[in-house]
Amino acid sequence: MSTILQEIEAEIAGAKMATAKQNVGTVREIGDGVARVEGLTDAMLNEMLDFGHGITGLALNLEETEVGAIILGDYTEIEEGDEVRTTGKLLQVPVGKGLLGRVVDALGEPLDDKGPVKSELAYPVEKIAPGIIRRKQVSQPVQTGIMAIDAMIPIGRGQRELIIGDRSTGKTTLGIDTIINQARLNHAAEAAGNKDYRPLYCIYVAVGQKRSNVARIINVFEEHGAMAYTTIISASASDSATNQYLAPFAGAAMGEWFMDNGMDALIIYDDLSKHAVAYRQVSLVLKRPSGREAYPGDVFYLHSRLLERSARVSEKYGNGSLTALPIIETQAGDVAAYIPTNVISITDGQIFLETDLFYQGIRPAISVGISVSRVGSTAQVKAMKQVAGRIKLDLAQFRELAAFAQFGSDLDAKTQAQIERGKRIVEVFKQPQYNPVPLEVQVAVLWTVQNGFIDDVPVDRVKDFQTKLTDFLTSRKNELMARILKEGALSDTLTADLKAAVTEFKETYK
Amino acid sequence: MKIAKQARRDAKGLFRDCIRDGLLDENRVREVVRRVLEAKPRGYIAILSHFHRLVKLDVERRTARVESATPLESRLQTKVQADLTKLYGRGLEISFKENAALLGGLRIKVGSDVYDGSIQAKLAALRESF
Ligand SMILES: Nc1ncnc2c1ncn2[C@@H]1O[C@H](COP(=O)(O)OP(=O)(O)OP(=O)(O)O)[C@@H](O)[C@H]1O
Ligand SMILES: [Mg+2]
Repeated sequence: MSTILQEIEAEIAGAKMATAKQNVGTVREIGDGVARVEGLTDAMLNEMLDFGHGITGLALNLEETEVGAIILGDYTEIEEGDEVRTTGKLLQVPVGKGLLGRVVDALGEPLDDKGPVKSELAYPVEKIAPGIIRRKQVSQPVQTGIMAIDAMIPIGRGQRELIIGDRSTGKTTLGIDTIINQARLNHAAEAAGNKDYRPLYCIYVAVGQKRSNVARIINVFEEHGAMAYTTIISASASDSATNQYLAPFAGAAMGEWFMDNGMDALIIYDDLSKHAVAYRQVSLVLKRPSGREAYPGDVFYLHSRLLERSARVSEKYGNGSLTALPIIETQAGDVAAYIPTNVISITDGQIFLETDLFYQGIRPAISVGISVSRVGSTAQVKAMKQVAGRIKLDLAQFRELAAFAQFGSDLDAKTQAQIERGKRIVEVFKQPQYNPVPLEVQVAVLWTVQNGFIDDVPVDRVKDFQTKLTDFLTSRKNELMARILKEGALSDTLTADLKAAVTEFKETYK
Repeated sequence: MKIAKQARRDAKGLFRDCIRDGLLDENRVREVVRRVLEAKPRGYIAILSHFHRLVKLDVERRTARVESATPLESRLQTKVQADLTKLYGRGLEISFKENAALLGGLRIKVGSDVYDGSIQAKLAALRESF
């Protein structure tokens, strides 16, 4: 009797052999969040490995006799000799609109107290960037609400624009302001019932930052009603290097979901310098060969494959986009260091922030001369192009002339006028933080500057003039402002009306 | 570090020399170990320990451990043997073992592949799903 049972069992086991096949290995060495596993001959690169105890690892080194895996989570429970299984799944994170308004970690697990993340779909963390065929030229603007950027270094949807500067020069603030401005635009479009408006969803990835910093940013977002359109991914300084290394890729996956579904998203990587350091640590404990500044040889590929995932997809493939604003911190303004040069070369331009400007009170401390946007001008709104076309040049010329004028030589009237204009432009571009300026106001103010209406306002009163003009335009002339926004270009009649409005204001301004 | 790398490379070369017709030749393995111990080249301990590892992995790859709760009947043994040879080719060393903890069914391990049709594994899977 027992033999017949055994026979059946063996038959069943035999039939199931093909499906029930598992690939296992044993832990040979564990430490520093890295396990070396013998066996696991079928493991794939970036495959999730099951270490038991509910612990997952990520296969990163596939070698001849063993697999090097980083442990996600607490590795102290794993012991030598433990059995490890392949799962056949690549590392993935939840994606979708359920993530908006949430604060999550590098694996998409909630860090806030709003319960589990509502999401039916997961995307692999590592994904191949959209191919050439699927891409389209950048053609729609991202309104950052920061005048200096929107006027002189315009950013388009699907672009990768680097924010680079020394520590504490306002890099993070540029990102936050941009997100706040999206919230303002999204709210306005919702209130107006504008169906054509394409909201820009935001993802903020904090890598290696202090938790207090992240908490402060969450507060700012909540105060400005920006959380509803934003996902925050936090792998703070006290999280493992593994999680810091994964966070930007998790963020990219969440952003890609919007792009794949015909929506627009913006992702801020704050910052990639710390990301490179985390990756260096992971590589060193995995005993990968190290190169310059002890970074592994593929640190360049690390960032290029991440940033290549931002793109503008053509109409045929859904018309979505993912815009990236990576942040890099430099040491003493050295943009020629290893990581900065790498990232500069794979982005579509950079916004360079300077400590000197910052302490002179010129904030945002954007160094206009060396900041560029290589693709964004095609996406700039026509009205803005009309008024801002020459302003970057004016400002650059002013900087040179001002340096020249310091030597006290006599200047001709034209040069003098250029310098006076330049001083006022610098004032106009100063902008407090968390205070994005709507596009139509930017256009009106810049038109006023370009047409000489502030040349007779003393430099130290320019800011006051600008504030009062803005108040006047948004309260008394809000119809005109709405027309500028709607038409998107300054026609002759619009220009005449704007001129009349500004003249009216100037008469009352004291 | 340099020595370790060179040792690994040497060990791999020696290991390759021990392969005859796609299978590891045990006599050659013994011969290699004896010769290395005689000549004592630079870093020979490291060479031998890596060589040992390669041989161990190869042996594991060619060893099938068949476990069952109660002893398998010889007719079944032959069938399992035939099935495994069909799957993994010749040169497979098959050992049969009893393991009461399985409760029933079979568990077969070849290298890092595991086919687990045991009741124990099914219970474990059931437990996981709760
Ligand atoms: N436009 C601005 N006007 C006034 N203050 C500003 C402005 N931008 C930034 N700041 C202030 O400057 C400080 C540094 O800003 P921020 O944290 O954005 O810089 P960072 O470059 O991201 O710094 P870190 O290197 O610490 O990441 C903050 O206290 C911020 O409030
Ligand atoms: Mg910062």
